[in-house]
Amino acid sequence: MSNEHTVKSYEEELQFLKDSLIKMGSLTESQLSDAMDAVIKVDKDSIDKIIKSDEEINKFRSKIDTQIMNLLVKRAPMAIDLRETISSLKISQDLERIGDLSKSNAKKVKPLPLDLPDELIGNLKRLGELVMKQLKDVLDSYVNKNFDKAKEVWEKDEQVDDLTYIAMESVIDFLSKDKKNLDFSTHLIFATKNLERAGDHITNIAETVCYLVKGEYLKGNRPKGKVIQE
Amino acid sequence: MTKEERLKKRHQAEKRFRFYGLTSIFVALLFVVILVQNIFSKGSSAFKKTVITTEIFFDQELLEIQNGASQDEIMEADFYDVMIENLIKAYPAKDRDEEDELLKLFSGEAEIEIKKAFLKDNNLIGKTITLDLTASDDIDQLHKGNYPRDLPEERRRISNFQLIIYDYFVEKKKISKNFNNYFFTNGDSRDPEIAGIGGALVGSFYSILICLLLAFPIAVLASIYLEEFAPKNKITDFIEININNLAAVPSIVYGLLALQILLATIQLPRSTPLVAGITLALMTLPRIIIPCRASLKAVPPSIREGALAVGASKFQSVFHHVVPLALPGTLSGTIIGLAQALGETAPLILIGMVAFVVDIPSSPVDPSSSLPVQVYLWSESAERGFVEKTSATIMMLLTFLIVMNFVAVYLRQKFEKRWN
Amino acid sequence: MSNIKIKSKNLDVFYGDKQALFDVNLDLNEKEVTALIGPSGCGKSTFIRCINRMNDVIDICKVTGNIEMDGMNINDKNLDVVALREKVGMVFQKPNPFPKSIYDNISYGPKIHGKGETKSELDEIVENSLRKSALWEEVKDRLDEPGTSLSGGQQQRLCIARAISVNPEVILMDEPCSALDPIATAKIEELIDELKKTYTIVIVTHSMAQAVRVSQKTGFFHLGKLIEVGKTEKIFKNPDNKMTQDYITGRFG
Repeated sequence: MSNEHTVKSYEEELQFLKDSLIKMGSLTESQLSDAMDAVIKVDKDSIDKIIKSDEEINKFRSKIDTQIMNLLVKRAPMAIDLRETISSLKISQDLERIGDLSKSNAKKVKPLPLDLPDELIGNLKRLGELVMKQLKDVLDSYVNKNFDKAKEVWEKDEQVDDLTYIAMESVIDFLSKDKKNLDFSTHLIFATKNLERAGDHITNIAETVCYLVKGEYLKGNRPKGKVIQE
Repeated sequence: MTKEERLKKRHQAEKRFRFYGLTSIFVALLFVVILVQNIFSKGSSAFKKTVITTEIFFDQELLEIQNGASQDEIMEADFYDVMIENLIKAYPAKDRDEEDELLKLFSGEAEIEIKKAFLKDNNLIGKTITLDLTASDDIDQLHKGNYPRDLPEERRRISNFQLIIYDYFVEKKKISKNFNNYFFTNGDSRDPEIAGIGGALVGSFYSILICLLLAFPIAVLASIYLEEFAPKNKITDFIEININNLAAVPSIVYGLLALQILLATIQLPRSTPLVAGITLALMTLPRIIIPCRASLKAVPPSIREGALAVGASKFQSVFHHVVPLALPGTLSGTIIGLAQALGETAPLILIGMVAFVVDIPSSPVDPSSSLPVQVYLWSESAERGFVEKTSATIMMLLTFLIVMNFVAVYLRQKFEKRWN
Repeated sequence: MSNIKIKSKNLDVFYGDKQALFDVNLDLNEKEVTALIGPSGCGKSTFIRCINRMNDVIDICKVTGNIEMDGMNINDKNLDVVALREKVGMVFQKPNPFPKSIYDNISYGPKIHGKGETKSELDEIVENSLRKSALWEEVKDRLDEPGTSLSGGQQQRLCIARAISVNPEVILMDEPCSALDPIATAKIEELIDELKKTYTIVIVTHSMAQAVRVSQKTGFFHLGKLIEVGKTEKIFKNPDNKMTQDYITGRFG
C-alpha cells in the first residue's frame, strides 16, 4: 500500500497545486518585505518593481484557481484531498489580498518625506517585522502540515493587534504635533491599518491550515488585542 | 513475408475453407437428393392400386337374403358365388382353365369388396351396380409397368390369354388406377396388392405412446432431481457417467434386456406394443435426460437467486422458474429421442415383432408390427409388389420423422419467444 | 437516535478452509441507508448475503457468530428461511427480472406468501409496488409484456418493485447501479432516498460518490475485516483510519 495515488496524473495535479501555492507564498513574503523596506527607507524607486511583482502574484492566483476547478471536476476529491483543494483556494485568496495590501503600502511611499521621527519608524518596523514573521511561520506550518505552529500564529494575532495600536498612537501623535503633517500622516495611518489587515489574512491562513491538518475548525473566537477606534 | 503477402495468404485460406464447407454441404445434399429420389421413384406407385371396373348383379337366388337385410344377415351371407358368376362374365372364356385364368386377374379381396358394397346399400337385390374391384398383384405390377412383356410365356407370371384380356380391358378403359386405401387401412398380407401398413402404423403409434408416457415423466423428474436437488458427490458423478454411457449403448442390447426380463421373467405377451414401448422407453430415457439436464444447467443462476431472494422455497424456485425455462430444450430433446425410437428396428425384432400379423391391433397388448420392422419384413419378400410397398413405407417413416423434427423446432421457438 | 435493526457480532464466514469474513461487528440502523465500501473481494457482498441467508445456497459456506434482526437470531438453523426472506429483500447487481410478464414478476412474491388472494388484491399490490419504485407511469399500460422487454434501468426498478411487493422491512442492494447508465443510476438513487423513509437499506457500492450521496452510515471493509464504520460525512471528509483514507482517495497500491 503506497502513499501515492494510483493514478499518477492525480498525484501530479495535487503536487502542482501545492507547489504553486508555496511559490505564491514566497512571492508574497518578498512582496511584503519589499513594501516594508520601501516605507521604512522611503525608497521611491522600488515601487515599480513591487507593482510588477504583484502582477506575478495575481497570475499565480488564477493558475491556482484553474487548477482547483480541474481537480474538482476531474477527481471528485475525498477526505484529505478535498481539504487540500479547498484550503488551497482559501489560502491563495488570502495571499493575494496580502499582496494587494503590500502594493498599496508601497504606493504610500511616494508622498512620504525623508525625515520621519525615529520612534514612529521604530514602531512601524516592529509591526512590519512581526507580520512578516507571522507570514513566514504560517507558510512553514502549511508546508510541514504543522497544526501547533499554525495555532500559534493564530493566537499571536493578538500581538499584531497590540503593535498596531502602538504604531497607530505614534502616528496620531506625530499628526497632532504639526498640522502640515496631515497629508502623509493619513498615508501612514492607512499603511499601518494595511499591516493589521495583512495580519488578519495571515490568521485566516492559519485557521485554514488547522482545518486542513485536523479536519476540524478551531474553536472559539480569535484572540483580539486592543482596538483603535476608527 | 510482407504484410500484404500475409494478408493475401489469410484471405486465401479463408476462401479455401469456405470452398471446402460448401463442397461438403453440396455432396451431402446430393446424397440426400439421390436417396430421396430413389425411394420416391420406387415407392410412389404404391399409393395407387389397379382396379378393374366390373358390373355386379346381385342375384337373389345365389345370395339367399332379402332387401333390407340386417348387417349380421349380410355378413353371414355367402357372396362367393355372386362374385364368380359376375367375374366370369367380364370376358368370354371357353373352358375351365381359361375361366380360372380370368378369375386370377382379380384380387382375392374381390369377394369382400362386393360384400362391402352391399353393406353400404342393402337394397341391391336384383340390381346391377358397377364396382371398381382390386386387380391381382400380377395385373397391378403389369399395369404399373414393372413386368416385361417380351419374355416367353413360361417365364412370365401372366399367360398369353391373361395378356389378351388385359389388353382388352385397357382398350375398353375398364382398367385404371385408384388411390390405394388398402395401404393405410390393411394390415400385412401375403397378397401384396392388399397389404398395408395399417397394422404397423397402429403398432408404432402404441409403442411410441407407451414409450412417451413412461420415458418422459421419469426422465424429466430424474433430471430435475439430479441437477437441482441431489448433492454433488461421487455417487451422483457416477450416475451421470452411467447415464451418458447408456445413451451410447447399441439398441439391440436393450432388445436382449427386454427379451430376458420382460418376456422370459415377467412373461409379458410377445410382439406387443406394450413390450416394445417399455423397451423403447428404457432406451429413450438417457436420450431425454441428457438434453433435459443440459437445458436445466443452461438456466442462469441469477434466475434461481432472484426467486430465492423473494422468498420462494427451493422447490418453488425450481418448478416455477427453472423448469419452464428448460422446457424448450427438453421438449426438442424429447421429440428427437422419440423420432429415434420410431425408427428403431433391432430391439423390436428381438422381442418378436417380426411375426406376420394381419389384424390391426386394437390395444397395446395385441400382437403387432412396427413401421421399421414392416420395412424389414417386406424387404425380405420375393414378390415384386412388395418392393414398392417397402419404399412407400420408408417414405411414410421419413415423413413422420421430418414432421416430428419440425414440431420440435416449432415448439422450441414458440417457448423461447414466450420467455424472452 | 435511531434504533438498531440488524446487529452482527463476531461474525465469521468460511468458504471451505478459506475465511472470508473476520469477526465483523456492525450495527445497521432502522430506516437508514448504510453503505458498504471496499475493494473487490473484501467481503461486503458476503456480509449482506448473511443477512438474508443467501449464503446457504453455497454448500461449502459456513457462517459462525451472531447476527440478529429485531432480536431474532438470523443464523439459527431452525429459522424459516422463506419467512426471513419475506422480511429481507434483495436487489442484485445485474437486473434479473423473471422471464414472465411485468405483472407476474411483481405478483409472484405475494402469491407464494399468501398475500393477496383475489385478483383485485394482487392488482393493488402490483400497482403500489410499481408506484413506490417510480415505474408505474412507464409500464401501467403494458403490464402483461415480459419483464425482460424493459430497459436496464427499468428492469432494475422492476426488481426493486418485486422486492417491495412482499412488504419487507429491510432491502439489501448489491451494487444495484453498476450495470446502469448515469440517468438510470440517478433515478435509482432518488428512489433510495424515498425508500429509506419506509425501509432499512443496505447498499454495497463501488462508487465512492454514490456512497456519499445516498447513505447516512458507511462501513469500510478490507480483506474480510471491517476497518472503519461511522457517519458517512465523517468517513468521507475526515476518516480516522489511514487505510480508509487511502482507499477513498485512490491511494491503494
